Amino acid sequence: MDEPLDFEFEEPSLVSPIVAKQKKKKVIGLDDLLSDFYQVKSDIPKKESKRAKIQKSDESDDDVDTREAELYNYVNKCQQQMNEISTDDQMPLWGLQVFGDQKAMPALTFPELKSCVLLQSFMGHEVNLLLELKTEEGEAFLEGLLVNSWLLKLVTNHGRVEKCIGAWTFNLMLYSPKEELRAAACEFWCSILLPKNQVDVVLFEMEWLPNYSELRRALEVYGFLLDFPSKSSSSMEIVDRDSDSAGPPQNIKSWIKYVSVCCQARTTHSVFSTSEVEDLIISVIYLFLDRQLLGLSSALKDCLHSLISFFSNDAFHLSCQKIAKSLTCRVPTDVNCLRTVESVAGLGARSKHLKSVLAFQFLVACFDDKLHDEEQILKSLISINLKDKNCDLLKMYIHLVLAENWLFCNPLLKDKPIISEMWNACLRNCSCQITSTDLRSYASKVRSKASYLLQGSTTR
Amino acid sequence: MAILDTSGFNRDSHHRHDDSLAFLEAVRSASLLPYNGTPPTNTMREAIFQILKEETSLELIIGSYQLLNELDKRFPRVCLPKVEEPASSLPPTILDEPVSVEEAWCPFTLGLDRDEETNKGSSGSIDPMGFHSLIQELGKMTNQKSKALETKILRKMLLLHYLVSVLEADFVPRNKVFKEKMSWTLLRDSLLNMLLGSRKIIYKGLVKDCLSVVCDVFSDLSLQSESSVVDSVASPSNEISYNCTAAFALALPDLKRSTCIYLKKLLRMMMELDTSRNVADVQGLTTRADGVRTPAEEIILDELAYNSDMLSPFFQTFDDPWWKLKMIMQYFHKYIPKSSVRTRRSSSPVNDSTFEGVLKCFSNSRSTKNIIKRIGGDVAQLLLGHAFLAYLSVSVESSAENDDFEEMVKGKSRTEICKHIVAAFTSIRKEDKNSEILLFGKQAVFTAATILSTKS
Repeated sequence: MDEPLDFEFEEPSLVSPIVAKQKKKKVIGLDDLLSDFYQVKSDIPKKESKRAKIQKSDESDDDVDTREAELYNYVNKCQQQMNEISTDDQMPLWGLQVFGDQKAMPALTFPELKSCVLLQSFMGHEVNLLLELKTEEGEAFLEGLLVNSWLLKLVTNHGRVEKCIGAWTFNLMLYSPKEELRAAACEFWCSILLPKNQVDVVLFEMEWLPNYSELRRALEVYGFLLDFPSKSSSSMEIVDRDSDSAGPPQNIKSWIKYVSVCCQARTTHSVFSTSEVEDLIISVIYLFLDRQLLGLSSALKDCLHSLISFFSNDAFHLSCQKIAKSLTCRVPTDVNCLRTVESVAGLGARSKHLKSVLAFQFLVACFDDKLHDEEQILKSLISINLKDKNCDLLKMYIHLVLAENWLFCNPLLKDKPIISEMWNACLRNCSCQITSTDLRSYASKVRSKASYLLQGSTTR
Repeated sequence: MAILDTSGFNRDSHHRHDDSLAFLEAVRSASLLPYNGTPPTNTMREAIFQILKEETSLELIIGSYQLLNELDKRFPRVCLPKVEEPASSLPPTILDEPVSVEEAWCPFTLGLDRDEETNKGSSGSIDPMGFHSLIQELGKMTNQKSKALETKILRKMLLLHYLVSVLEADFVPRNKVFKEKMSWTLLRDSLLNMLLGSRKIIYKGLVKDCLSVVCDVFSDLSLQSESSVVDSVASPSNEISYNCTAAFALALPDLKRSTCIYLKKLLRMMMELDTSRNVADVQGLTTRADGVRTPAEEIILDELAYNSDMLSPFFQTFDDPWWKLKMIMQYFHKYIPKSSVRTRRSSSPVNDSTFEGVLKCFSNSRSTKNIIKRIGGDVAQLLLGHAFLAYLSVSVESSAENDDFEEMVKGKSRTEICKHIVAAFTSIRKEDKNSEILLFGKQAVFTAATILSTKS
């Protein structure tokens, strides 16, 4: 393009040539080139050569059009390739659809509430002349007492929780659509089970305590899908999720908090059996996999921590195996299993143990349950040929992270030096067999992870 | 650390996302998981803080928030030596000076003005102005209900939670030692004192803003309770965005509630600082350099008196029984005409610094009328109710920590107080013919009467 000022042609046509000339005289320092252009414009027909030039530029415009289209296509293609490369390299997002459609919430009306002792004893009281409270308004009034935390004071004073009050508040906590009520009810139960200040330390006589099946039932009502094969939420076709029926409801928060407090209060109210707690741990870890609950992960972490602390020492090791096996059947061995392992915080000794067991069981599942021996598994990890074009590097990455979690702080490394050696060999393989210029997807991920771990293990 | 560097490159957003996640995980596994983990370097902490401050992905915001909190718990900035004595029943009588880790990274920049230049480099941390404007922004965002703001409001809330917990972890041990050893310098150097003493913020404005945010957020919560929060704004065509919207909807109510709790903590720490400062003043430990501040309690009480709509949400949030009772007593103290108490019983002066004393002011019609005239019947009911609720939550045994408090509930038994409560409300009802007893008042009377009937 030898005419970079194409658009200039039009400007002088707007201005009369005389004015342009006058301007030319007045404004000193206009480029010669520019004046040439003006002249061209003022008498185009006379100057053939210039005309030709313009025609030439017209021709080249057509030419450019085709070339441009070619270039456009080419750039597009590149873009596409770039996109492919970059999306390939991105870790897939974890996430399972843990909740399906909600079932109908149980009715919240409690006719027997009107006849509870708390209300009835007041009705005849002389002070009622002041308040003029009627039996029909009983439930609404109790709701008010609950929300403003008077109910807790009353119950504390009484030292007893009536059956209908207990059941009523428990149902509000798990099924009420009103945030205020469910939060207050949850607070009420937590304070009863786990008194915060000294005043409330009263051994309550509980006329009714919810058991495990109530909690299980609540999860089912929320649409929890633990026992059904679930699809990865990213690959899932969009089921019509009208917001009314898609789970979970807001009450899941209260559920999580309640379970957590229940376990902490096991000394005063023993509520769950060992196998029930195992089930709860499985459910809670499963909840971690739903991206919808991402905002609640602090609460979930607390809950898992309390659940893990619930066990006696001997029972825990056995239960760990059971929990891990059950989870490996439910969670696919893709990024989701990494998230599962990650969800166990690993801060305490128990948590570390559970994490390690989980990671190992997932590794076993990755090898289709054919290998159960530690050495065999490491051996087959080493034997994977990373230079092979068909080698699935994402899978390798998952194996690496799982193995790391399994061996991290594991006494096995000290007890069996061979394991430690093999693990190092495996890491060396990954960092040496993959070159830094390897363009396969996930190649750099595997390589950098392995080198990072290798460095960590040598400095340790 | 190589992972740190990658976060600086201008790469694709999802790469940055992956890298940041990997970075958080790496810090976690290096510092927290091993039994003898090493604390992360200041650059690392700052990078995590930066993620909390700037990222837009829910996963990263929450991850960085949790990690920062866990790190602070594991590697505290201030620690009291020899606290973990095995005989927990005997509290250690002599506490050593808390050791503060000088070089430790801190999210606040609290240097003097002349340090500004040197601090420019660490732009990541928050200065006093930034802290104040964070609270103001939260207030603004609560009032405009826009879906687009959700990530932002969530991030700001978590940021505030973290900052307040940093202040708390710094202030609480220092204040504890101050009470034992009367070393004002220790408390003077606390982050909270330096923050509040900064010339860059208007202290009074900060307290007022905290107060209004507490009330706004609280009212917002009660309003929302009627409708289900998840509405069908999410386009069902996009699974990820659906998940995100659902996640926000699930997380927000709890976050709002804990925002109230954190702001309450902040206000309470301010009041505790004022109390300690008073003690130090009396002992002559403070110097001119410490400056003068209006106590936070006074600012709050003035604001509540000025704007009585705030009373209910404030006292519902501010459920710390001792402080609540104390503030309500102060409120009455300010507005109950002294003469009405004194003239009536000049022979046996009523001690109106006890809860019972205040209740007694409602026992005759003239002084009740007077109080209603001055502060309004509804306000009187609310205050009485909340004071009673607070009274029920405290017990005499736990009052040992502060003499003021013991003073307040000294006197008659719980039954007597309950009787007084019923009498006071009866009296208010009689004198204030235009208005009914509030629902909250009814609840108080119900509770008092029920307690009476079980005790007798």
